[in-house]
Amino acid sequence: MIKTKNIEKTYKKPSVTTPVLRGITLSIHRGEYVAIMGTSGSGKSTLMNILGCLDKPTSGQLELDGTDVYTLDDDALSALRNKKIGFVFQQFFLLERTTALENVLLPLIYADNYPADAKQRAKKALTNVGLEDRMEYLANELSGGQQQRVAIARALINDPDVILADEPTGNLDSGSTHEVLEIFSRLHQEGRTIIVVTHDRAVAEHAQRILELKEGQIIENTTSSKPENSGNH
Amino acid sequence: MARIARITRESFRVMGANRTRVFIMMLGMAVGVASLTLMICVSKGAYEEVMDIVNRQGPDLLQVRPGTDKHTGLPSGSRAVVSLLEEDVDAILQHIGNIRAISPVKDRKEVEVKHGDKFTLTRIFGITPVWSEIRDFGPSKGEFISEEDLSFAARVCIIGQTVKKNLFGDTDPIGQTIRIKDVPFTVKGELQWKGISSAGRDRDDRIVVPITAYTKRLFRDIYLTQIVITVADISNLDKTIEDVRSVLRERHKISAGEPDDFAMRTPQDLIDLAYSTTRSLINLLTGIAGVSLLVAGIVIMNIMLASVSARRNEIGIRRAIGAKKRDIISQFVMEGFLISMMGGLLGTMLGFGGSIILSYLKVAASRVTLLALAASIVSCSLIAVVFGIYPAKKAANQSPVDALRT
Ligand SMILES: Nc1ncnc2c1ncn2[C@@H]1O[C@H](COP(=O)(O)OP(=O)(O)OP(=O)(O)O)[C@@H](O)[C@H]1O
Ligand SMILES: [Mg+2]
Repeated sequence: MIKTKNIEKTYKKPSVTTPVLRGITLSIHRGEYVAIMGTSGSGKSTLMNILGCLDKPTSGQLELDGTDVYTLDDDALSALRNKKIGFVFQQFFLLERTTALENVLLPLIYADNYPADAKQRAKKALTNVGLEDRMEYLANELSGGQQQRVAIARALINDPDVILADEPTGNLDSGSTHEVLEIFSRLHQEGRTIIVVTHDRAVAEHAQRILELKEGQIIENTTSSKPENSGNH
Repeated sequence: MARIARITRESFRVMGANRTRVFIMMLGMAVGVASLTLMICVSKGAYEEVMDIVNRQGPDLLQVRPGTDKHTGLPSGSRAVVSLLEEDVDAILQHIGNIRAISPVKDRKEVEVKHGDKFTLTRIFGITPVWSEIRDFGPSKGEFISEEDLSFAARVCIIGQTVKKNLFGDTDPIGQTIRIKDVPFTVKGELQWKGISSAGRDRDDRIVVPITAYTKRLFRDIYLTQIVITVADISNLDKTIEDVRSVLRERHKISAGEPDDFAMRTPQDLIDLAYSTTRSLINLLTGIAGVSLLVAGIVIMNIMLASVSARRNEIGIRRAIGAKKRDIISQFVMEGFLISMMGGLLGTMLGFGGSIILSYLKVAASRVTLLALAASIVSCSLIAVVFGIYPAKKAANQSPVDALRT
């Protein structure tokens, strides 16, 4: 599903060059639930942005669903993100003064074909994350946990191949964290591919597999001891 | 729904969520467009006023006066007053084909006229029967001067409405006798009401008599004060003006290089005269419109630039979920366009309001015209695109990762 080969990322400044990723080779299969761990500054977000086709590495290859990503131009990358990737960020990034429903509909605006049942789909996605009674609330009228669930619904609306979540619980209290993780586990059971970036081992433990980033390299590739459906009681 | 329609709807939605910013941008545009609208309305009013004058005087009317000032016809030197003769009229008629009608005119101002114990000072015109057709100035009651009156130098006259009021009040003047410089004349008719001329003269304060009677019975003037001509084919007006000029110069024995001792006033001169009064106002408004539209464009560009940085995260998330660069450009340009359009419409309304006030206060004959609306739409679209494209490109060209940094 996702394959990288020898990905390197170096930030060059006139005075210093910072190598952040130093040869990442990994492969994630369809339906896998993977966590990427590492200390702050270890390059988790950098890797995640590269996997999500938001950023390009200094060198290396990325194959997504059989497509060699770096042969695509900017428009094709946008289309690919729209169709195949659902993003969830620590800061939610919802449009404020915009209803939950409209936020969820946003990716469809940029879809090649706007489905006739767009609203229906958005409502279903919101129901799926337990927000059926908050659809017409403005983003800034929702709690952090609710906002993150709207963001998950937005990531799901285009039925993506993979969900990339960068510290999705970083701004949430334990209750909301629990809700979000539960949703991820459910999505995983439904067969979705999920990659979660976190520095919190308790969060990572929900995944099937944990990749650990240290000094720009993957130093550990463990399979989680926890059962798959640990999010459910 | 087409992609561009979705993005347009998105622009509308975002504007709805950011009303303060939208309102400031709109105001900038509204001020510019209001002056533009006002400028067009005033120009249109001036144009209509001119055309009104030209049409009232007749677009085919040529006036020849002695002297060299073609606007006033006032003599600029003593020689000038003594230039036009009745023989000039005959010569013009003889040599030039494109003449529909021509009449010599003599006139004097402030002539004593009496009827019974009533007395007035008025202007006396000596004319021929075609004068009425040339000046579109016929009798409203009774009859006009006939060819017979002309050949017999009959002591008949047609009186203007002001003269009638001064000498007769409400009684019927026709058939009555008045004394012009103590010479008795029979009132044959009343001239139709004309009102005040564009120069502010009371056009009803006059008496017309056959030019023959004027010369034989009233004043022994030899020289004419005017020759009025209507041309047959208006498309040949310019050529006819030149022909009249050369006939007169030849008759007056003016050698090449010498100035004319007469002046011709054409419909174009009337247009120039009428425009000269509003021209400065139009120039002023054009300047204001130009400057304020430029300012509006710069305001729009700066607010858009500021909002590009303020909305970095919004742009980032849109790019992350699949917006192409051109989608971002479309959204920003469309936002600028819609705001500019709304500001433009507001400005047009303000301009129309201003136009109505200007003409109500009689500052200028301003006319509300749809042309102004069209001009606003065009200039708003242009400004929105010209000043919006740079911020829009700036928004689109950020890397998504940078845009998503908090
Ligand atoms: N645009 C940039 N220019 C220079 N250095 C950068 C840039 N972006 C990131 N870095 C550096 O790359 C390194 C990795 O950053 P990254 O955001 O991937 O870390 P992270 O693992 O996500 O950390 P955190 O847990 O704090 O989110 C950091 O040292 C950071 O300073
Ligand atoms: Mg990070």
